[in-house]
Amino acid sequence: MLVQLVVTGLALGSMYGLVALGYHITWATSRTMNFSQGHAVMAGAVVAYTVFVALGWPFPLALVITLAALACYGALVERIAVRPFFLRASPAWLLATIAVGIIAENVAQLTFGKDARAFPSPFMQKPIFVGSAGFYPQELLVPVVGLLLMGVVQLFYHRTSYGKQLKAVAWNREAAGLMGINIPRAVMASYALSAILAGVAGVLLAPLLNVAPQMGTIIGLKAFAVAIIGGLTSAPGIVIAGLGYGLVEAFTAGYISTRAREIVGFGLVILVLILKPWGLMGDKPSRRV
Amino acid sequence: MDRLGWAALAAAAAMIPLFTSNTYYLYVAMSVGLLTIVTAGLNVLVGFTGQTSLGHAGLYAFGAYTAALCATRAGLGEWAAIAAAIVVTSVVGAAVAAAALRVSGPYLAMVTIAFGLIVEGVLIEWGSVTGGPGGIFNIPKPALRTHYWTVMLAAALALWLTANLRRSAWGRAFLAVKSSEVAAESLGLSSYYVRIAAFTVSAAFTGAAGALFTFLNGYISPDSFTLQTSILFLLALLFGGLGRIAGPVAGSLALTILPELLTRLLDYRLILYGALLLVSIYWLPEGVVGKVSKARRAGSRTPSPRPLPLQGRGSKTPSPQRGEGRGEGQPHGPLLTAEGVSLAFGGVTALADANVAVDGRSIHAVIGPNGAGKTTLVNVLSGYYAPDSGRLALRGRRIDGLPPYAVARLGIARTFQTAQVFGGLSARENVAVGVAGPRLGAVLGALAGTPGARAREAAIQARAQALLEALGLADVAEEPAEALAAGLRRKLEIARALATGPLLLMLDEPAAGLSPAEITALDEQLTTLRQQGGPAVILVEHHMDLVMAVSDRITVLDYGRVIADGTPDAIRRDRAVIEAYLGGAP
Repeated sequence: MLVQLVVTGLALGSMYGLVALGYHITWATSRTMNFSQGHAVMAGAVVAYTVFVALGWPFPLALVITLAALACYGALVERIAVRPFFLRASPAWLLATIAVGIIAENVAQLTFGKDARAFPSPFMQKPIFVGSAGFYPQELLVPVVGLLLMGVVQLFYHRTSYGKQLKAVAWNREAAGLMGINIPRAVMASYALSAILAGVAGVLLAPLLNVAPQMGTIIGLKAFAVAIIGGLTSAPGIVIAGLGYGLVEAFTAGYISTRAREIVGFGLVILVLILKPWGLMGDKPSRRV
Repeated sequence: MDRLGWAALAAAAAMIPLFTSNTYYLYVAMSVGLLTIVTAGLNVLVGFTGQTSLGHAGLYAFGAYTAALCATRAGLGEWAAIAAAIVVTSVVGAAVAAAALRVSGPYLAMVTIAFGLIVEGVLIEWGSVTGGPGGIFNIPKPALRTHYWTVMLAAALALWLTANLRRSAWGRAFLAVKSSEVAAESLGLSSYYVRIAAFTVSAAFTGAAGALFTFLNGYISPDSFTLQTSILFLLALLFGGLGRIAGPVAGSLALTILPELLTRLLDYRLILYGALLLVSIYWLPEGVVGKVSKARRAGSRTPSPRPLPLQGRGSKTPSPQRGEGRGEGQPHGPLLTAEGVSLAFGGVTALADANVAVDGRSIHAVIGPNGAGKTTLVNVLSGYYAPDSGRLALRGRRIDGLPPYAVARLGIARTFQTAQVFGGLSARENVAVGVAGPRLGAVLGALAGTPGARAREAAIQARAQALLEALGLADVAEEPAEALAAGLRRKLEIARALATGPLLLMLDEPAAGLSPAEITALDEQLTTLRQQGGPAVILVEHHMDLVMAVSDRITVLDYGRVIADGTPDAIRRDRAVIEAYLGGAP
């Protein structure tokens, strides 16, 4: 039981962390975020299902198409829901991204159908047993790929020139603008990247959770909780918070009940915010007088 | 909307059950009423105070379940159940607010979302009390028509209460905190406390609506209280008109009736909501109500409303002014002292061991080259920055470590380098925020518009008017503050700071951007202020003629250090000062 819960917890937790990193990326560059990030996870799963299962194309091609579609989706969200309200008060972009998300959910309902469908994966064929604990290879694959990808994102930010440009925008928008960095494009790129991460999470989670238009909301909210717990400004904080949140969830579900999972998880967020208002490792926003 | 419009609307709403006994129509109309109550409350939080909540469905649930449990388990009557629901929801709302409002932006959104989801989860899990996923049945229902009038009356009451609130000192404080938290705190308002009040009021409204919802349906279940419900509340308010008293009515009508008309398009419901939300954000910043009233104003060109008649000006009304008299009988010696104050940002030293002593009733200038630490000094003295070391004292009382609003309450007022007037408020209301300061009175009194609250308000308005006249702003009293020219904004900021009745007024570059004529006028005003026994003044300024003309004493800063301190004549001859300004060889 213990091993099983740890594996499940790490699998889900790494996905929350991956999606939450998407919140962090756009927050860092623009102090805005896609409140419907969960719908990007759903979009990833739905597009991958359509291309890979319904059309029967090879998986690598399906993956490329999915990620390209998600990049466009992220850019679109930025263009219609964020850029017009970039410097305005928070309710505007917050609600605008929610609006785009619920429209996306409705579109998925109309095209994909309302029912959940299983996503076949070679790693879900037969479980591995360690003692009495049984789990699917997919559950091992998910955290490995998730953590690997988070590492790649960090390398991108610290080692590549474009990544450094994005970091510069996050650090000081005005100075970055004066250095000739195209700010609107940097913000759009961060949205595209954020949506790609969500899309990957969607593809990885699809075999574990089944694909359905309404799958996004709760994943997005939990990832958001993770981003807030870890601290929106801290990538390492988010990774740790993600794994921690996944474990707490798995153990609550295992030892108490599935429904208590949400109560405990979201209760934890409120508790953390009372004790550490800007997250475990986040920076307090400086006050401008 | 004018009086006639409100009367017509109320009459139409009251008469519906006389013309139809169709249960469906009455049900839809009552749903509009309930949504109006919720959004009127939400308007206080989002529209007035500028804080977004995505968890009001949770508060709605608290109201509904409290009423249901009171009616079924405790056997209470309808009214007692509603009262209990309001009390419980207010307490819960205040507790959530105390936790949530320490943070803002997405952090606040998270706390409210989490609250809503936890409530939903508990409703499902805690079956022995809440009935679990099935909910609570067999709640005694009042007669449909009676309940119809109850709901409509409550909706009218909700709108009336919010209109009263908006016109009170509380309403101005809400808008002030929304517009500039920094400036609001400089007037003694704790933005945290003000926001908690706004959240609690909105919770009470939502709880009342939840209770009425229970008695309308006779049956409740967790399905009615999801995150989608919270979003719907916000959407209705946004579409109707954020911050507008009539906004909730328009939004509730549209958001209730539209889906009923489009039942055939059920599959496209989310697209409809999403599009409506985008349309409201893009093209209706003040909702349909704002749009309509703007169009009407453009059409008819009615003159701007006349100022309120001022009653009892200068007479027996309890004057809210505070500082006057406080300065009398003060001991000799400095009013404010700063000793050995140091502050660094990262590695950059902004203040290094700075000492300043300001005498009561004097004008004390602080000058120095750009980046010398003048504004930092003002920010330290007013509590916006905590110094790394050193001590600050106001009449011997330690003030370092106090938050800005507490410093302001002790009698230190200030202006800002870029004038921070409260947008969304008129010039008069800006000054009135300063007059009232933290003394806002009881929220309940402000909601109900009690005679006591009205008397306070008249006194506040009278004092605001006097200050506007004294600073030559009477002509622009009703203009929106954000539309004033730069010079007038600065004056307005000074009037607002003086309105708090301070012992010490700190002016941060008041002459920047003023014309020579305006600077002369400022010179006169400062001198008059001193002659009339006004507060001591700390003047941060680049304009040397002004500084030399009005100052009693000058402190010169360079690289965060005090390099000279003395009378204007002594400063004029000081070698170190001349070097700092002219860059002479050391």
